[in-house]
This record gives sequence, C-alpha cells and structure tokens, in this order.
Amino acid sequence: MKCESCQEALEEYLDGELGDREAREFAAHLAACSSCAAESATFGAEQDLFSRYDRDLAIPSSLWEQIAERTAPPAMRPVSENGFGARLVALFRVQSFAFSFSTAAVLIVFALVIYAVYFKTRKPKAVVAETAIPQESIPKEQPAPVPSSSAEPQKHIALSNQKSVRRKLHAVKAINIEQSDVLSSDFGVQDIDDQETAKHIEQTQNLLQSIRNVKLNDNDLEIDVSYDKALSRRLLNENIVLRRDAEMKAKYPTKMLLSDLEPLLIDIANLPDQAKPEEVRVIKDRVQKTEIVAALIGY
Amino acid sequence: MKRLALDELNLEAQPGAFAGTLMNSSRDLVIRVCQGDQEAFRLIFDRYSRPVIGFIYDMVSDRELAEELTQETFVRAFRAIHRMKPETKLSTWLFGIARNVARESLRARTRANMQVTLEHESVMDVSDQEPVPVDRLLSKELNELIRRALEALDDDKRLVFTLKVFHQCSYEEIAEITGFSLAKLKTDLHRARAEMRRRIQPYAGVGYEV
Repeated sequence: MKCESCQEALEEYLDGELGDREAREFAAHLAACSSCAAESATFGAEQDLFSRYDRDLAIPSSLWEQIAERTAPPAMRPVSENGFGARLVALFRVQSFAFSFSTAAVLIVFALVIYAVYFKTRKPKAVVAETAIPQESIPKEQPAPVPSSSAEPQKHIALSNQKSVRRKLHAVKAINIEQSDVLSSDFGVQDIDDQETAKHIEQTQNLLQSIRNVKLNDNDLEIDVSYDKALSRRLLNENIVLRRDAEMKAKYPTKMLLSDLEPLLIDIANLPDQAKPEEVRVIKDRVQKTEIVAALIGY
Repeated sequence: MKRLALDELNLEAQPGAFAGTLMNSSRDLVIRVCQGDQEAFRLIFDRYSRPVIGFIYDMVSDRELAEELTQETFVRAFRAIHRMKPETKLSTWLFGIARNVARESLRARTRANMQVTLEHESVMDVSDQEPVPVDRLLSKELNELIRRALEALDDDKRLVFTLKVFHQCSYEEIAEITGFSLAKLKTDLHRARAEMRRRIQPYAGVGYEV
C-alpha cells in the first residue's frame, strides 16, 4: 500500500469501515511507515479529545413521567389523545383560545338557526304567490302595448310598464297552466325559486326600461321618482336574497345577472323623491350603456 | 414489507415469557411494547434516553429544548413502533426519529442567532488571552470549546460528525438515519473533521500536530 492510498483511507480505517483484507494491509503499512503512523496517531489523539466531550446532560425524572402520560394506553384515558374530539376539546382548554372558540361556535350555531328559520318562513310564501296570482282576472290575449311616451310617465314612469310586465308574467303562467304538455323549462321556469327570480327580473326589467325610456326635459326642475324609488328599494331587497340563493345553488349566470342589477337598483333607490333631471339622466345613460335591459330580456 | 412477526414468536402463549434479562434485548423490548407492555417502553427509554438527548443537544445546542425534543422523540417512537421493520436496529431507528424531530425544530427556529462563524469571537476566544493547550484546559472549557466548534458546523456536517464521533454509528447506520448517500456522508464527515480540527488547533498543545 502506498502512503497516498493510506492517507485517503485513514479515516475509514480508524472508523472501522474497511474490510478485513484492506484493514490487514493498512495495519501492515502503518507498522512500516512512520509518516502514516504519525498521521494515524494525530487522528487518534483527536478522537481521544472528542471522547472527553461531556455535555453534562441529566435526564430529569419528569421526562419519563411526561412521556408516560402521553403514551398511556387508551383504556387509562377517557378519550383518545389522537381522536378528533380530544383535539377539539384540547383547543378549548387553551385559555387564550377558549373564549374566542366558544364565541365563534355560539355564533355559528346562531347563524344556522336563523338561516333555517328564514328558509322555513320563505318557502310557504312562494307557494302562496304561485297560487294566488292566477286567481286574478287576467286577459289571456296579449294586450295592446301601453304607450310609454305619454305625459304621465314623468310622474310615475314605471307604472305603465309594470302593468304590461304583469300581464306578460300572467300570460306566461296562463300558458303554463293551459299547456301542461309543454315543459316548464321552455319558459325558464323550473321551480318556485326560478319563478320568483323570473318575476323579479321582469319587474326589474320594467323599472329599468321605464328609466331608459324616460324623456327628460331640461326645462323640468324636478321629476317625481318616488314610486320608482320605492319599487327599486323593494326590488333591491329581493335582488339580494335571490342573488344569494342563486350563488348557493351554483346558478352562476343568474347570480351574475342579479349582481349586475344591484348597483343600478341602489342608485335608483338612493334618488330623492323629487330628482333633478341630470340625476335621472346619469342612471338612464348607465342603463343604456350597460345594455342591462337586453340581458334581462335574454334571461 | 416485513414486519415484526409477533404471531410467529407467540410470546403471549409462553408462561413467564417476559421474565429474565434474556427477554430484554432491544428486539424483545420492541415486541413487548407492540403487545402493550408499557414497562418495556420504560426500559427502552432508560436504555436510549441518554444517547438520544445527547444527540439532540448536539443538534440544537439548547438544553431545555433538547429535553422537550427527546420527549417528542420517544412519544413518536411509541406511536410508530409497531411499524418498525424487524431488521432495523432500535438505536438507529430512534436516532432517525430524533433527527427528524430536531430538524423540524431547527427549521422552525431562527438560525440567525445560532449560526456562529469561524470568525466569531465566541468560537475562538474561550480563554481571555492566549489559547491554552488542550491538556491544560479544564474539562468545562474543553466542553465549551467543542460545543462551540460543533455549533459552527452546518447542519449536515454536524449531523454526521455527531453520529460518527460521539455515537460511534457505522457509515451504514448513518446513511439509514440521515438518508444521505455513502459518498455524501463520507465527504461531509471528512469536511466536518477538518473544520473541527481547524477550530480546535489553536488550543492543541505539543503532540497534537494537525
């Protein structure tokens, strides 16, 4: 063995990692080579130095007690430490979180109760509405269009269109009743919620159409929009509820359409009863630009 | 994958199977723990807690933290002991868990305050004035010198150095504990020794020519 190979393998030899044959060769070389033997002695001294390293670590008696406590068999404890319930309970045991977690739990339960009560009270209303509307005397034929450009609209601009939309809605319902062999989905009405949404959209469409079609005269000092404002407020409340429903039922197109309506309804609802022409014009322009009425008709 | 063959050994069927020192080999202790014998785990703790806490202390350089991590190591070992391969050496397996626990802790800690470079005064200036030869150093000073030199190694080098020099693990065991290849651990070990030598050299007296 050459000195070069000896120095390369010195650590492995002293670590006891060489095979028997190599180790014998190594030992023979060390016996014959003073330089490599000195190297080996230095390494040995270094090992000796490290062997004197004392960390002065004691094993506290409490260490085993804590381990024993954590590893005690399940029979010793009422609830498994790994269990979900135990971990949940443990969360509440932490003082800093206990109050906030308890409060959050109470609030969640409270919210769920309100939500359940809301749904229980809301659905029967929808059924009543469905049955009540057809009882009104509705002409089955399409009525003649009501002129929207008369002098009246400036006072109650939504009134005439509301009548026509109501007639349209009832016409749709009449068709549903009379043509039982036709799928209701053909009319975009699949269930009570959809009917409510359709009704809401038609009413909103009517309101926005009336805003869009209003003829503004710069000479007018004020325009009476009290009816439109009140209607918008009602529609806004309805819109929020329907939008949330649509979101929950993953009806995203409906949800998006209703989301688009909300800013306009808010603006109309925030108009003063006697609005200035420019205030109405701003909303009118937005209705035209966004082509929201076309989207509502498409729905 | 092979698992401890508890049924084959059929220890429960043998009266007094757990009595006597013959049943206290590491393998037997593992089998007994798997069968729900808490006392056997106590024996494992008694046997391995000192090397484990020493190893963890070398890795984290914090006495209280080392105790805490030792506790965590043994708890994890208890929960996983039934999955231990029969061919695995218990000490190697425990060091592997301890290494993971220490590594997780090191990752979580800010290393900025722990990293001590070679140039840092605290590494070199153990004494006030000139370096005192190793043979004249008090054991406390020597311990401090080695601890600081060890602390200055990077994590991988400190890991292999500790396992080899302080715990006399074989290369194969170190590879199993660390997951390093043989080539990497040999390189890391060689470099760690060289760094340790360089840091301790100023204190080495006559007869310690390195």
